[in-house]
Amino acid sequence: MPPKSKAATKPKATEPAPATTNPTTTTTTNTSQTASSQEPSEPTTVLERSQQRYEKTRPFEAARRQHGLSKLSKEDQKGWICDQLLHLTNRLPAASRARLLSPKASKEIWWTINGTNSIVRGLKQQPKAHTTWGTDRNGHDVGSYSIERFDERIKKRAALTALQVSSRVFRENVEREKRGFVDARSGQEIIVTEREIDEEKVRRSKMTALKKELYGEITGKLASSVDWEDVVPTPHEEPEGALAAIAYPAEYAEAMSYLRAVMSKKEYSPRCLRLTEHIIGMNAAHYTVWLYRAANIFALGLSIPDEIEWLNEVALANLKNYQIWHHRHLLVEHYHPTIASDAEALAHFAKQERDFLIAILSEDTKNYHVWSYRSWLVGKLEMWEDSEELKSIETLIDEDVRNNSAWSHRFFLVFSNPKYATPGKGATERDDKVTQELVDREVQYAQTKVYLAPQNQSPWNYMRGVLVKGGRQLASVQEFVEEFVVKLGEGDDQEEVRSTHALDFLAEIYAEKGESEKADLCLRRLAEKWDRIRRGYWEWRRKCLTQGSSEKVVEESEKAEEVTVV
Amino acid sequence: MVVRTKGARCRNRAIFIRKFPKQKGDMAAASNPTSQEGAATSTSSQQQQPNLDAITDDDFEYVDEEFVSNYTPEEAVQPQPTEPMIPDLFKQPPLVKDDLITDTSKLQDQTVEHCLPFLAGQDGPLELNDYGLPRLNREKHIKFLKQSLGPLPGRFVGMDASRPWFLYWCLSGLTMMGEDVSSYRESVIATARTMQNESGGFGGGHGQLSHLATTYSVILAIALVGGEEAYNVIDRKGMWKWLCTLKQPDGGFQVCVGGEEDIRGAYIAAVVITLLDLPLDLTPESPAYDGGRSNLLTGMAEYVRSCQTFEGGISSQPNNEAHGAYAFCALACLALLDNPRRIIPRHTDTQTSRQLTALSSPLTSYLDIPRLVSWLSYRQYAPEGGFSGRTNKLVDGCYSHWVGGCFPLIEACLSPSGSGSEKENNKTATSGLAAAPESLYNREGLIRYILSCCQDQTKRGGLRDKPYKMSDAYHTNYVLSGLSSAQHQWDLDSDPLPLPEGETTPTMAALGADSIWNVFPFIDDNDQVYEDSDRVRPIHPAYAIPQKNVAGIRAYFQGRSGFA
Ligand SMILES: [Zn+2]
Repeated sequence: MPPKSKAATKPKATEPAPATTNPTTTTTTNTSQTASSQEPSEPTTVLERSQQRYEKTRPFEAARRQHGLSKLSKEDQKGWICDQLLHLTNRLPAASRARLLSPKASKEIWWTINGTNSIVRGLKQQPKAHTTWGTDRNGHDVGSYSIERFDERIKKRAALTALQVSSRVFRENVEREKRGFVDARSGQEIIVTEREIDEEKVRRSKMTALKKELYGEITGKLASSVDWEDVVPTPHEEPEGALAAIAYPAEYAEAMSYLRAVMSKKEYSPRCLRLTEHIIGMNAAHYTVWLYRAANIFALGLSIPDEIEWLNEVALANLKNYQIWHHRHLLVEHYHPTIASDAEALAHFAKQERDFLIAILSEDTKNYHVWSYRSWLVGKLEMWEDSEELKSIETLIDEDVRNNSAWSHRFFLVFSNPKYATPGKGATERDDKVTQELVDREVQYAQTKVYLAPQNQSPWNYMRGVLVKGGRQLASVQEFVEEFVVKLGEGDDQEEVRSTHALDFLAEIYAEKGESEKADLCLRRLAEKWDRIRRGYWEWRRKCLTQGSSEKVVEESEKAEEVTVV
Repeated sequence: MVVRTKGARCRNRAIFIRKFPKQKGDMAAASNPTSQEGAATSTSSQQQQPNLDAITDDDFEYVDEEFVSNYTPEEAVQPQPTEPMIPDLFKQPPLVKDDLITDTSKLQDQTVEHCLPFLAGQDGPLELNDYGLPRLNREKHIKFLKQSLGPLPGRFVGMDASRPWFLYWCLSGLTMMGEDVSSYRESVIATARTMQNESGGFGGGHGQLSHLATTYSVILAIALVGGEEAYNVIDRKGMWKWLCTLKQPDGGFQVCVGGEEDIRGAYIAAVVITLLDLPLDLTPESPAYDGGRSNLLTGMAEYVRSCQTFEGGISSQPNNEAHGAYAFCALACLALLDNPRRIIPRHTDTQTSRQLTALSSPLTSYLDIPRLVSWLSYRQYAPEGGFSGRTNKLVDGCYSHWVGGCFPLIEACLSPSGSGSEKENNKTATSGLAAAPESLYNREGLIRYILSCCQDQTKRGGLRDKPYKMSDAYHTNYVLSGLSSAQHQWDLDSDPLPLPEGETTPTMAALGADSIWNVFPFIDDNDQVYEDSDRVRPIHPAYAIPQKNVAGIRAYFQGRSGFA
C-alpha cells in the first residue's frame, strides 16, 4: 500500500486529463487571491484541492481574474502575458512550438513566471469536473469525492493493480509450464500447482469485484461523453402498463438507447464495441448485443485471438451464460479459414481452446453449453485423432466416473470420427465401418468403470451404445453382466442385485436370445423390488416380450425380404 | 376428498360436467341427478358440434361419461389414519447404492437428504391430507404469477431479453390454475407490439432482434388471451419471410438470424407455422432455397432424428448429450409434422432396437422409441419422485414438463390405432411394441414431488426447482404443466391419414397439427393422493396451452388464406 502523500499525486499520472479548453467550466469556491497572497481554505473535495493546486501554478491568471488585467501591476501584467503565452503554445505540437519560441525566449518566460513565489516546473491541466478523474460506477464525478473517500478509492485502485500484476505473473507461469520451461534458480520444470490455480481464481473474483466497484463496466455517462455527442439516442418505447416491464437502472436504459441508435444506422466502430462490452457487463444474456458485437468485430477486422482472450474472462465470470458460447462459435468460424492451411497454427489454436475448455469445465463439469461447443470444435478443428482430447476426457471420468457429459463426449469422439463413421447413421444404429478392435477397446473401458460403481448408469449406457454401434449381440457381455446379479428369483434372502442397470441389461440379453421367461423374471423383480419407481415401464417391457415373440414370425419374414432387396 | 373408482382407462370422448363436490362427506351430491343430466346434455352437444370454443371457463374438469355412471360413493367412512399414507418408496434412499463417493454422488445424496423431510410431510406446520401431502396453494401461486407480470425491479435487468417468456409463463400458469386471463388482452397487445420487428418476428423487447424463443412465447401469450384484436397484432407475412431466412439446408432452423441452430428452433418453427397457418414455400432469400423443391418443413424430421443420442434421449444439436428439454421439443415437433403414430416410432427390433427394415420401408418414422422410452423412464428418481434432465443429474421441478410432458406423446404413438373394439386388441401400429399401460411412469411419485417439494410455502408463493431454491415464473409454469399432464390421460383419436401420392416424408403439410386429442382426468387404480380441487387444467400435448386456445388462433388464421 503506497503512503498517502504519494497516493494523492498518483491520479494525475494515471488519469491524464483530456485536452479540453473550455474556460467557463472553471468554477471554484475559493476566495480570489492575488498573485502573491493568501493561503486558500482547506479543500473539501478532490476537485477543490486540484483547483487550488492548479491556481498555485498560475498566480497571474488568478490575480487577473480577481482584479482585471488593468488593475494589475506592470510586473504582474508581464507575468500574465508570459503565462498565457506558455499555455497557448503548449497546445501546439512540440515542433511548431519550437518554431514560435526560441529556446532563449522560452527560458525567459519560465524565468518570469518562476520569479514569483510559486515554483512552476511544468504545466498543469486545468481540472474539470467529470473528465479529470472520470466518473464512478454510479456516474458521480470522482472529483466531487471528499479527500478521504478519494484516498480510499486510490487504495482500491492500487489493490486492483497489484492483483492484476500477480495475475499476469500467474498467466506467464502457466504459459511457461505449457512450454516446459525450467526455473533458472531451482533447475526444475515450472509447475503451476493446484494451490496457485485456486489463488488465481480468488484473485479473479476479487479483481472483478473491484473493477465493478470502481468503474462499473464503462466509465462516464454516454450522454456527457464527447465520444457520443453526435448520436441521438433512441429511448425505450413502451406503452403504460406493458407487461413484465423492468425498472431499468439508468445506466442500462441509457446504454440501450444508444445501442438502438447505432444498430439502426448499422454503425460498426470501436465505440460500438465498447458499448456492447458495457451492456454485456450489465446483462450478459442479451443475444442482440452479442450478435452486434460479433458484427462489429468482423466489420472492423479486429483480432480474433484478442477477442477470445477477452471472452475467456467474461466466460469465467458468467458460467451459466450461453450466448458467450455462440459468440465463440462465430469467432472460430470466422478465424478458422485464416489458419486452416497452417497445420501448426491450427494445432496451436486447438490446444489453446482445449486448455481453456479444461479450465472452465473444472469449474462446472457438466456445463451443457461448454460441452456443446466442445463437440462442435472437435469437428471444426478436426481434433478426432488428437490423443490429448481423449486423454482429457479420461481425466474427467477419472475424477468423477458419473460425469455423463464426459461419457457422451467420448462416445461422440470415438464413433463420429468421419475417418470411418458412416455419415448419416443414427446414434442408436449399427455402423459396419466401426472396427471390432475399437468396439473391444471401448467395451473394455466401460467395464473397468462399471466395477468402480456398478449402480452408475453412465458406463452401462455407454457399453450398450458401443455394442449396438459395433453390431454385436448384447449377449456377448452376458458373463460380465451376470456378475452383478446373484441368485435371481431364489428368494428374498438369497437374491442379490448390485446394479439395477445390470438387471435391465440382462432382461435385454435374455429377450435377444429368445429366453422370454428369464427376461420376464428380470423385469418382474425390477418392478417388484429393485426399481419400483419404474414399475409402469417394467410392466410395459414385459408386455413387449409377449408381443415380440408372437410377432417373431413376421419379423423373420421381413428379414428375408430385406435380404432380397439388398 | 378422494375419488376412488375401479374404472380402468377411459375410452369415451371427453365430456364436461361441473366440478365434483369438494367437501369430505358430501358424497351424495355426486349422484345428484342434475349434474348427471348436465353431463348427458353436454355429451350430446359435444358430439354434434365439436366446437372447443363452446367450453366455458366454468367447465373446469373433463370427466368421462362411463366414469360418472360407474361412480359409487364410498361404502363407509374411512377411519382416520393416524399416520399419513406415504409409501416407503418415497421415504427411503434407493435400495441399490454404491460406496464410491464422487462430486455427482455427493450432490445427489445431499438432494435426497434435502427432499426427504418434505416428502415425509415435515415441511413446517402444513395441513396435510391422508396421504401426507399439502394442498396446491393456488392463491399464493396466482399472486406470485400476477406479480411476475410486473412491473419488475431493476435487478431483473438480466431478464431483459426474456420478457416475452414472462408473458407466456405467467399467463399459462394462471390459465392452468383456472384464472381468466382475457383481462390481460389489452396489455398483451400493447406489449407485443413493441416487441415485433418490421422484418418479421418478435424480439425480447423494443430494438431487440427477432428470436424464435421470444416469438414462441409472444404467440402463445396472444393465443392465451385470445380474441381477434390480439391475433391481429401478428404480422403474418413478415413472420413467414423471417422464418424463411432462418431455415437451414439441413432441415433445421436458426433461432435468430446469425444465431445458433438447434432443436428448439425446429419445434418452435413447427408451432408457429401451424398456429398461423403459414404458407410452406421458401422465399429465394432463404438459405435453404433450392428453386422450389424444398419447403419450410423439408428435412425437419431428419434434423430431429439426428439429435437422438446413443443413450436414447435427445440433444440440442447433433452429437451432444441427451437432455430432457430437447426430448420434449423433438417429440412435440414430430407430433405437429405428422400423426405421432406414424412419424415417431422407428421400425425396430423389439428388444435390441436394432433397425431391421430401413431398406424395405420408406422412412416415415424418426425416433428409436424403445431407447427413448428407456431414457425417459430413467429420468424419474426415487425417493424424490421427480424427474432429472440428464443421466446422473439432479431432480428438478421443471422437468416435470420437459420429461413428464413427453409421456402423453409417447403413449399416443404406442397406442393402438382404430377405434372402439379394435383398440381393445391392444395392438399398436408399431411392430413389436406393446401399447402403453395405464401409465409408463410413476404419476404418484411426480405429484408427490410437485406438491411436497416444489411449492414455496412462504408468503412468496410460486413453484420451484427443488427445496431451498427460489421459486420463479419459469418453474411455476413448467411444474404446473407437469402436474397437469400427470393428472390427465390423453388419447389420440385419429389414425394417420394417407400420405399424399409419392410422398414418403411429411413435407407437404403439417398433418400432425390436425390430430384430434381427447383428454380425461387420470384415474389411478390405486388411491388418488391429491384432492380433486387440486387438479389443474389440461394443456395440449404439443402446443402446451389449452386446446381451446389452440383451436381459437388456428381457426382465425385458417380463415384468411394469403396475406390480405
Ligand atoms: Zn429447472
